[in-house]
Amino acid sequence: MRYDVVVVGSGIAGPIVARNVAKEGYSVLLIDKKPAIGAPKQCAEGINIKVFEKYDIPYDRRFINREIYGAKLYSPSGYELEIRYKDVSGVILERKVFDKMLAFYAARAGADVLARTEALDVIRENGAIKGIKAKHEGELLEIYADVIVAADGVESTIARKAGINTYAPPHEFDSAYEYEMLIEGFDPDMIHLWFGNEIAPRGYVWVFPKDEDRANVGIGINSDNPRTAKYYLDKWLEENKVPAKKLLEINVGVVPVGGFVKELAKDNVVVVGDAARQVNPIHGGGMAEAMEAGTIASKWIVKALEEENLELLKNYTREWWEKDGKRLERVLKIRKAVEKLTDEDLDVFIQVLSGADAEKIAGGDYLEVIKALLKHPKVLMSKRRMALLKELL
Amino acid sequence: MPEKIRIIVNEDRCYLCGGCAGVCPALAIRVSSSKWEFFQDKCISCRICINACPVGALSAEPLEGEL
Repeated sequence: MRYDVVVVGSGIAGPIVARNVAKEGYSVLLIDKKPAIGAPKQCAEGINIKVFEKYDIPYDRRFINREIYGAKLYSPSGYELEIRYKDVSGVILERKVFDKMLAFYAARAGADVLARTEALDVIRENGAIKGIKAKHEGELLEIYADVIVAADGVESTIARKAGINTYAPPHEFDSAYEYEMLIEGFDPDMIHLWFGNEIAPRGYVWVFPKDEDRANVGIGINSDNPRTAKYYLDKWLEENKVPAKKLLEINVGVVPVGGFVKELAKDNVVVVGDAARQVNPIHGGGMAEAMEAGTIASKWIVKALEEENLELLKNYTREWWEKDGKRLERVLKIRKAVEKLTDEDLDVFIQVLSGADAEKIAGGDYLEVIKALLKHPKVLMSKRRMALLKELL
Repeated sequence: MPEKIRIIVNEDRCYLCGGCAGVCPALAIRVSSSKWEFFQDKCISCRICINACPVGALSAEPLEGEL
């Protein structure tokens, strides 16, 4: 088999690249190891509403499960911070449908798509990577391509086999566990987040509503924690008297929350999405980041093919680092500071932040939030809190 | 020098999420959509995979006769 581009992995970044490159008339093959693209999900399924227009994705009710109007944050002692918008601010997706539709858009743009096709290794000839070896329904395939896109998730097997250094230390991963379950007593128009070192070390517990009484209820914790994510989520459910007897799905995964890959393109191989650790280190969401990376990568793949100059792929690394990379490095710095917060600090911060501050948090404007915190007497009275926050300015 | 170990999966607990393979610095684990595989020759006995597993599906046993 021979294509201009082979894309390994049909999560979010992969099909965006496949669609964009195929649209320009190049031959593309998109493969995914799962028999049904999108299932099982490894995601809380929440995304900002702006991405649909920005990345040219239809606002299709088939994969939009619920529209969300804001967020509620809860501190360890129960202080609450609410931000409620008049208009829809985000949606809870049905990833099983969404991912498959992204692959469908790629197919409709001209790409070939093969589910249940697992990439096994790269093909090297005279030291150069010429394609990949894969297995489809037990049949071994040799897929030759000018450009190989490793969108193969947190495992990043193909990227690593191609010699791209995607290593990140264990502390730069979160371990996540989630139930899709029946749950009552939470405003279904909002997402809900609980913080606390006893609740979710380094991370948070989330309730992302999918119906009036159904939600993704999950947790992310530091992956080098001696206890499991499941342990902490079950403990939280029990302590909050939330019965866990109506479990529709259990979703499990490891999320990169730092350790961004320095070299995103090497020779004719590019790495995107979770494989490139392109995830927001504070909230652990990576769909928008994957869409952005996929968009930048596809632009440079098209240019490299047009000009028959694969050296141009290096511009993907440069452009990503100039745009999202720089921003995410700042967010990573904040995550590292947040890790040092005690439960008392979290109580104080959530107590003193206003709805306007929360809006800035939601918009990613962390700097303004830090400035607001620095002005508050409860922060001014603590040398340690002041020092911690000043580090971030 | 860490004790040389073999990583074992509890198949009843494992969701084949691939997280252990993702955090392994040595590509000693491979997870396909239908099976979990361990490559002893690549394992550096760091135990990162054991902690990272969200459900505690992995454990270690010492390799006999090796230190």
